Amino acid sequence: MVNDAMGIQGIQIIGMFFCIVMLYLTFLHYKRKEFKVEFFLFWAFAWIGLIIMILYPTSLDFFVRGLKFGRRLDFFIVFGSFFILVLQYYNYIIINNTRRKVEKITRKIAIQNHNRKN
Amino acid sequence: MKNRKSDVWAIIPAHNEAKNIGKVISESKKYVEKIVVVDDGSKDNTAEIAKKQGAIVLKHVVNLGKGSTLKTGCDFVYKACAKNKNNKKIKIILIDADGQHDPKLIPTFIKKLENKEIIFGARDFNKKMPLVLRVGNNFINFIIELLFQVKVRDSQSGYRAFWLKNYRKIRWRAQDYSMESEMIANVGKHKLKYGQVSIPTVYNDNYKGTTIVDGVRIVYNIFKWRVAKW
Repeated sequence: MVNDAMGIQGIQIIGMFFCIVMLYLTFLHYKRKEFKVEFFLFWAFAWIGLIIMILYPTSLDFFVRGLKFGRRLDFFIVFGSFFILVLQYYNYIIINNTRRKVEKITRKIAIQNHNRKN
Repeated sequence: MKNRKSDVWAIIPAHNEAKNIGKVISESKKYVEKIVVVDDGSKDNTAEIAKKQGAIVLKHVVNLGKGSTLKTGCDFVYKACAKNKNNKKIKIILIDADGQHDPKLIPTFIKKLENKEIIFGARDFNKKMPLVLRVGNNFINFIIELLFQVKVRDSQSGYRAFWLKNYRKIRWRAQDYSMESEMIANVGKHKLKYGQVSIPTVYNDNYKGTTIVDGVRIVYNIFKWRVAKW
Protein backbone atom coordinates (compact mmCIF):
# COMPACT_ATOMS: atom_id res chain seq x y z
CA MET A 1 0.00 0.00 0.00
CA VAL A 2 2.34 2.76 1.20
CA ASN A 3 5.09 1.54 -1.04
CA ASP A 4 5.05 -1.79 -2.76
CA ALA A 5 8.05 -3.54 -1.24
CA MET A 6 10.36 -1.19 0.62
CA GLY A 7 7.91 0.51 3.04
CA ILE A 8 7.67 4.28 3.25
CA GLN A 9 10.40 6.20 1.40
CA GLY A 10 12.30 9.36 2.40
CA ILE A 11 10.67 11.44 -0.31
CA GLN A 12 7.24 10.44 0.99
CA ILE A 13 8.17 11.53 4.52
CA ILE A 14 9.35 14.92 3.24
CA GLY A 15 6.19 15.29 1.13
CA MET A 16 3.92 14.42 4.04
CA PHE A 17 5.78 16.72 6.43
CA PHE A 18 5.37 19.57 3.92
CA CYS A 19 1.64 18.87 3.48
CA ILE A 20 1.00 18.67 7.23
CA VAL A 21 2.79 22.01 7.80
CA MET A 22 0.77 23.59 4.97
CA LEU A 23 -2.44 22.11 6.36
CA TYR A 24 -1.62 23.60 9.76
CA LEU A 25 -0.87 27.02 8.19
CA THR A 26 -4.14 26.87 6.24
CA PHE A 27 -6.02 26.16 9.47
CA LEU A 28 -4.12 28.96 11.25
CA HIS A 29 -5.11 31.52 8.63
CA TYR A 30 -8.70 30.34 8.77
CA LYS A 31 -8.69 30.61 12.56
CA ARG A 32 -7.39 34.17 12.29
CA LYS A 33 -10.34 34.81 9.95
CA GLU A 34 -8.02 35.65 7.06
CA PHE A 35 -9.67 32.97 4.91
CA LYS A 36 -13.32 32.45 4.06
CA VAL A 37 -14.67 28.96 4.75
CA GLU A 38 -14.74 27.99 1.05
CA PHE A 39 -11.14 29.09 0.62
CA PHE A 40 -10.15 27.09 3.70
CA LEU A 41 -11.98 23.99 2.42
CA PHE A 42 -10.35 24.25 -1.02
CA TRP A 43 -6.84 24.31 0.42
CA ALA A 44 -7.57 21.75 3.15
CA PHE A 45 -8.86 19.29 0.51
CA ALA A 46 -5.85 20.07 -1.70
CA TRP A 47 -3.36 19.22 1.08
CA ILE A 48 -5.29 16.16 2.27
CA GLY A 49 -5.55 14.97 -1.34
CA LEU A 50 -1.81 15.37 -1.73
CA ILE A 51 -1.19 13.41 1.48
CA ILE A 52 -3.33 10.56 0.13
CA MET A 53 -1.45 10.61 -3.17
CA ILE A 54 1.86 10.53 -1.30
CA LEU A 55 0.75 7.65 0.96
CA TYR A 56 -0.85 5.67 -1.89
CA PRO A 57 1.16 6.57 -5.00
CA THR A 58 -0.21 3.55 -6.88
CA SER A 59 -3.62 5.26 -6.89
CA LEU A 60 -2.20 7.53 -9.61
CA ASP A 61 -1.10 4.68 -11.86
CA PHE A 62 -4.22 4.95 -14.00
CA PHE A 63 -3.26 8.52 -14.99
CA VAL A 64 0.49 7.86 -15.05
CA ARG A 65 0.12 4.97 -17.51
CA GLY A 66 -2.70 6.61 -19.46
CA LEU A 67 -0.62 9.74 -20.05
CA LYS A 68 2.50 7.64 -20.69
CA PHE A 69 4.66 9.05 -17.92
CA GLY A 70 7.78 7.00 -17.16
CA ARG A 71 7.58 7.50 -13.41
CA ARG A 72 5.01 8.70 -10.89
CA LEU A 73 7.41 11.45 -9.82
CA ASP A 74 7.43 12.83 -13.39
CA PHE A 75 3.64 13.06 -13.23
CA PHE A 76 3.89 15.01 -9.94
CA ILE A 77 6.55 17.36 -11.30
CA VAL A 78 4.69 18.13 -14.54
CA PHE A 79 1.30 18.71 -12.92
CA GLY A 80 2.89 20.51 -9.95
CA SER A 81 4.58 22.92 -12.40
CA PHE A 82 1.31 23.56 -14.20
CA PHE A 83 -0.42 24.24 -10.90
CA ILE A 84 2.30 26.68 -9.83
CA LEU A 85 2.15 28.50 -13.18
CA VAL A 86 -1.61 28.89 -12.90
CA LEU A 87 -1.25 30.22 -9.37
CA GLN A 88 1.53 32.63 -10.44
CA TYR A 89 -0.60 33.95 -13.26
CA TYR A 90 -3.59 34.36 -10.96
CA ASN A 91 -1.43 36.16 -8.36
CA TYR A 92 0.03 38.44 -11.04
CA ILE A 93 -3.44 39.50 -12.18
CA ILE A 94 -4.66 40.05 -8.62
CA ILE A 95 -1.55 42.03 -7.59
CA ASN A 96 -1.67 44.18 -10.71
CA ASN A 97 -5.34 45.01 -10.20
CA THR A 98 -4.76 45.76 -6.54
CA ARG A 99 -1.81 48.03 -7.38
CA ARG A 100 -3.94 49.99 -9.85
CA LYS A 101 -6.73 50.33 -7.28
CA VAL A 102 -4.30 51.51 -4.56
CA GLU A 103 -2.86 54.03 -7.02
CA LYS A 104 -6.29 55.40 -7.91
CA ILE A 105 -7.41 55.66 -4.29
CA THR A 106 -4.15 57.28 -3.18
CA ARG A 107 -4.42 59.86 -5.98
CA LYS A 108 -8.04 60.58 -5.16
CA ILE A 109 -7.25 61.07 -1.46
CA ALA A 110 -4.29 63.36 -2.27
CA ILE A 111 -6.36 65.62 -4.55
CA GLN A 112 -9.46 65.55 -2.30
CA ASN A 113 -7.43 66.44 0.81
CA HIS A 114 -5.93 69.41 -1.01
CA ASN A 115 -9.29 70.61 -2.33
CA ARG A 116 -10.89 70.28 1.12
CA LYS A 117 -8.19 72.39 2.79
CA ASN A 118 -8.48 75.11 0.17
CA MET B 1 3.68 84.17 -28.55
CA LYS B 2 4.58 85.80 -25.27
CA ASN B 3 5.47 83.47 -22.42
CA ARG B 4 3.67 84.45 -19.26
CA LYS B 5 4.92 83.18 -15.91
CA SER B 6 1.34 82.34 -14.93
CA ASP B 7 0.94 79.97 -17.88
CA VAL B 8 3.61 77.63 -16.58
CA TRP B 9 3.05 75.03 -13.88
CA ALA B 10 5.99 73.18 -12.34
CA ILE B 11 5.38 69.70 -11.01
CA ILE B 12 7.89 68.31 -8.54
CA PRO B 13 7.64 64.68 -7.38
CA ALA B 14 9.27 64.27 -3.98
CA HIS B 15 10.06 61.39 -1.67
CA ASN B 16 12.01 62.17 1.53
CA GLU B 17 13.54 65.29 0.01
CA ALA B 18 13.34 67.64 3.01
CA LYS B 19 17.01 68.50 2.46
CA ASN B 20 16.62 69.78 -1.11
CA ILE B 21 12.97 70.63 -1.72
CA GLY B 22 13.10 74.15 -0.20
CA LYS B 23 15.90 75.28 -2.50
CA VAL B 24 14.34 73.69 -5.60
CA ILE B 25 11.02 75.50 -4.93
CA SER B 26 12.58 78.89 -4.14
CA GLU B 27 14.71 78.73 -7.30
CA SER B 28 11.78 77.55 -9.45
CA LYS B 29 9.53 80.36 -8.17
CA LYS B 30 11.65 82.86 -10.07
CA TYR B 31 10.38 81.37 -13.34
CA VAL B 32 6.96 79.86 -12.62
CA GLU B 33 3.99 81.05 -10.64
CA LYS B 34 2.42 77.76 -9.70
CA ILE B 35 4.40 74.90 -8.24
CA VAL B 36 2.80 71.57 -7.39
CA VAL B 37 4.80 69.30 -5.10
CA VAL B 38 3.55 65.73 -4.93
CA ASP B 39 4.87 64.14 -1.76
CA ASP B 40 5.06 60.40 -2.40
CA GLY B 41 4.58 59.09 1.14
CA SER B 42 7.63 60.80 2.65
CA LYS B 43 8.61 60.00 6.22
CA ASP B 44 10.34 63.37 6.70
CA ASN B 45 8.86 66.88 6.57
CA THR B 46 9.11 67.36 2.80
CA ALA B 47 5.42 68.34 2.59
CA GLU B 48 5.64 70.91 5.40
CA ILE B 49 8.71 72.59 3.90
CA ALA B 50 7.08 72.69 0.46
CA LYS B 51 3.93 74.23 1.93
CA LYS B 52 5.95 76.89 3.77
CA GLN B 53 7.61 77.78 0.49
CA GLY B 54 4.18 78.44 -1.03
CA ALA B 55 3.83 75.35 -3.18
CA ILE B 56 0.59 73.48 -3.72
CA VAL B 57 1.17 70.20 -1.90
CA LEU B 58 -0.53 66.91 -2.74
CA LYS B 59 0.33 64.09 -0.38
CA HIS B 60 0.25 60.38 -1.18
CA VAL B 61 -0.59 58.42 1.95
CA VAL B 62 1.63 55.58 0.73
CA ASN B 63 4.70 55.50 -1.48
CA LEU B 64 3.69 54.66 -5.07
CA GLY B 65 6.67 55.49 -7.27
CA LYS B 66 7.72 58.30 -9.58
CA GLY B 67 5.31 57.47 -12.43
CA SER B 68 2.26 57.54 -10.17
CA THR B 69 3.48 60.66 -8.37
CA LEU B 70 3.89 62.68 -11.56
CA LYS B 71 0.55 61.40 -12.81
CA THR B 72 -1.12 62.74 -9.64
CA GLY B 73 0.47 66.15 -10.23
CA CYS B 74 -0.42 66.26 -13.94
CA ASP B 75 -3.99 65.02 -13.34
CA PHE B 76 -4.41 67.71 -10.70
CA VAL B 77 -3.24 70.49 -13.05
CA TYR B 78 -5.36 69.06 -15.88
CA LYS B 79 -8.48 69.15 -13.70
CA ALA B 80 -7.63 72.53 -12.19
CA CYS B 81 -7.23 74.09 -15.64
CA ALA B 82 -10.16 72.30 -17.26
CA LYS B 83 -12.47 75.32 -16.93
CA ASN B 84 -9.77 77.84 -17.68
CA LYS B 85 -10.42 79.52 -21.05
CA ASN B 86 -6.71 79.83 -21.67
CA ASN B 87 -5.87 76.24 -20.87
CA LYS B 88 -4.47 75.72 -24.36
CA LYS B 89 -1.63 78.03 -23.38
CA ILE B 90 -0.75 76.13 -20.21
CA LYS B 91 2.67 74.53 -20.12
CA ILE B 92 3.92 71.94 -17.66
CA ILE B 93 7.47 71.51 -16.55
CA LEU B 94 8.61 68.44 -14.61
CA ILE B 95 11.53 68.88 -12.22
CA ASP B 96 13.13 66.41 -9.84
CA ALA B 97 13.19 67.34 -6.16
CA ASP B 98 16.72 66.18 -5.47
CA GLY B 99 18.43 69.22 -6.97
CA GLN B 100 19.62 67.39 -10.11
CA HIS B 101 17.72 69.84 -12.29
CA ASP B 102 18.71 73.48 -12.35
CA PRO B 103 15.56 75.67 -12.37
CA LYS B 104 17.55 78.37 -14.21
CA LEU B 105 16.95 76.33 -17.36
CA ILE B 106 13.14 76.62 -17.11
CA PRO B 107 13.01 79.67 -19.47
CA THR B 108 15.11 77.74 -22.03
CA PHE B 109 12.66 74.82 -21.91
CA ILE B 110 9.66 77.13 -22.21
CA LYS B 111 11.14 79.10 -25.09
CA LYS B 112 11.99 75.96 -27.01
CA LEU B 113 8.50 74.59 -26.38
CA GLU B 114 7.00 77.41 -28.48
CA ASN B 115 7.36 75.49 -31.74
CA LYS B 116 7.43 71.96 -30.32
CA GLU B 117 5.00 69.76 -28.41
CA ILE B 118 7.39 68.35 -25.85
CA ILE B 119 10.94 69.13 -24.75
CA PHE B 120 13.29 66.58 -23.18
CA GLY B 121 16.21 67.50 -20.97
CA ALA B 122 19.39 65.73 -22.05
CA ARG B 123 22.40 65.24 -19.80
CA ASP B 124 25.91 64.90 -21.14
CA PHE B 125 27.05 61.33 -20.67
CA ASN B 126 30.36 62.36 -19.17
CA LYS B 127 32.34 60.88 -16.28
CA LYS B 128 30.05 62.51 -13.74
CA MET B 129 27.47 59.86 -14.66
CA PRO B 130 28.30 56.38 -13.27
CA LEU B 131 29.52 54.00 -16.02
CA VAL B 132 26.69 51.51 -15.54
CA LEU B 133 24.10 54.27 -16.01
CA ARG B 134 25.91 55.58 -19.10
CA VAL B 135 25.91 52.15 -20.74
CA GLY B 136 22.32 51.36 -19.67
CA ASN B 137 21.03 54.75 -20.78
CA ASN B 138 22.64 54.47 -24.22
CA PHE B 139 21.18 51.01 -24.65
CA ILE B 140 17.66 52.20 -23.72
CA ASN B 141 18.02 55.19 -26.10
CA PHE B 142 18.95 52.78 -28.88
CA ILE B 143 15.98 50.47 -28.21
CA ILE B 144 13.56 53.41 -28.07
CA GLU B 145 14.83 54.80 -31.38
CA LEU B 146 14.60 51.36 -32.95
CA LEU B 147 11.07 50.64 -31.77
CA PHE B 148 9.45 54.09 -31.63
CA GLN B 149 11.55 56.18 -34.05
CA VAL B 150 12.12 58.84 -31.40
CA LYS B 151 15.75 59.88 -31.23
CA VAL B 152 16.52 61.29 -27.80
CA ARG B 153 19.95 61.78 -26.28
CA ASP B 154 18.80 60.99 -22.76
CA SER B 155 15.64 58.93 -22.41
CA GLN B 156 15.93 58.74 -18.62
CA SER B 157 16.12 62.40 -17.70
CA GLY B 158 13.05 63.58 -15.80
CA TYR B 159 13.52 67.25 -16.71
CA ARG B 160 10.81 67.79 -19.33
CA ALA B 161 8.29 70.35 -20.52
CA PHE B 162 5.11 69.89 -22.53
CA TRP B 163 1.82 71.57 -23.34
CA LEU B 164 -1.04 70.65 -21.05
CA LYS B 165 -3.26 70.12 -24.12
CA ASN B 166 -1.02 67.18 -25.07
CA TYR B 167 -1.13 65.54 -21.65
CA ARG B 168 -3.84 63.03 -22.59
CA LYS B 169 -1.70 61.84 -25.51
CA ILE B 170 1.43 61.25 -23.47
CA ARG B 171 -0.23 60.08 -20.23
CA TRP B 172 1.57 56.98 -19.00
CA ARG B 173 0.47 53.89 -17.08
CA ALA B 174 3.80 53.04 -15.49
CA GLN B 175 4.01 53.62 -11.76
CA ASP B 176 7.80 53.59 -11.52
CA TYR B 177 10.80 55.00 -13.38
CA SER B 178 9.57 53.36 -16.61
CA MET B 179 7.23 56.33 -17.04
CA GLU B 180 10.00 58.39 -18.64
CA SER B 181 10.41 55.79 -21.40
CA GLU B 182 6.64 55.29 -21.75
CA MET B 183 6.19 59.02 -22.25
CA ILE B 184 8.68 58.85 -25.15
CA ALA B 185 6.89 55.79 -26.54
CA ASN B 186 3.65 57.81 -26.52
CA VAL B 187 5.39 60.72 -28.24
CA GLY B 188 6.41 58.26 -30.96
CA LYS B 189 2.93 56.79 -31.19
CA HIS B 190 1.25 60.19 -31.62
CA LYS B 191 4.10 61.56 -33.73
CA LEU B 192 4.45 64.65 -31.54
CA LYS B 193 7.09 67.24 -32.40
CA TYR B 194 9.85 67.07 -29.83
CA GLY B 195 13.01 68.97 -29.00
CA GLN B 196 15.88 68.67 -26.56
CA VAL B 197 17.70 70.96 -24.15
CA SER B 198 21.16 70.19 -22.82
CA ILE B 199 21.22 70.09 -19.04
CA PRO B 200 24.17 69.64 -16.68
CA THR B 201 24.88 66.19 -15.27
CA VAL B 202 24.51 66.31 -11.50
CA TYR B 203 24.64 63.31 -9.18
CA ASN B 204 24.18 63.74 -5.45
CA ASP B 205 25.61 61.42 -2.81
CA ASN B 206 22.15 60.15 -1.94
CA TYR B 207 21.25 59.19 -5.51
CA LYS B 208 17.84 57.49 -5.55
CA GLY B 209 17.27 57.20 -9.29
CA THR B 210 17.24 54.30 -11.70
CA THR B 211 19.06 51.11 -10.70
CA ILE B 212 20.17 48.14 -12.84
CA VAL B 213 16.96 46.30 -11.88
CA ASP B 214 14.92 49.33 -13.00
CA GLY B 215 16.88 49.31 -16.26
CA VAL B 216 15.99 45.68 -16.96
CA ARG B 217 12.33 46.43 -16.16
CA ILE B 218 12.38 49.49 -18.44
CA VAL B 219 13.73 47.45 -21.39
CA TYR B 220 11.12 44.75 -20.79
CA ASN B 221 8.38 47.41 -20.64
CA ILE B 222 9.58 49.10 -23.85
CA PHE B 223 9.06 45.84 -25.75
CA LYS B 224 5.70 45.37 -24.03
CA TRP B 225 4.54 48.86 -25.07
CA ARG B 226 5.69 48.29 -28.62
CA VAL B 227 3.35 45.32 -28.81
CA ALA B 228 0.53 47.06 -26.90
CA LYS B 229 0.69 50.38 -28.79
CA TRP B 230 0.53 48.86 -32.27
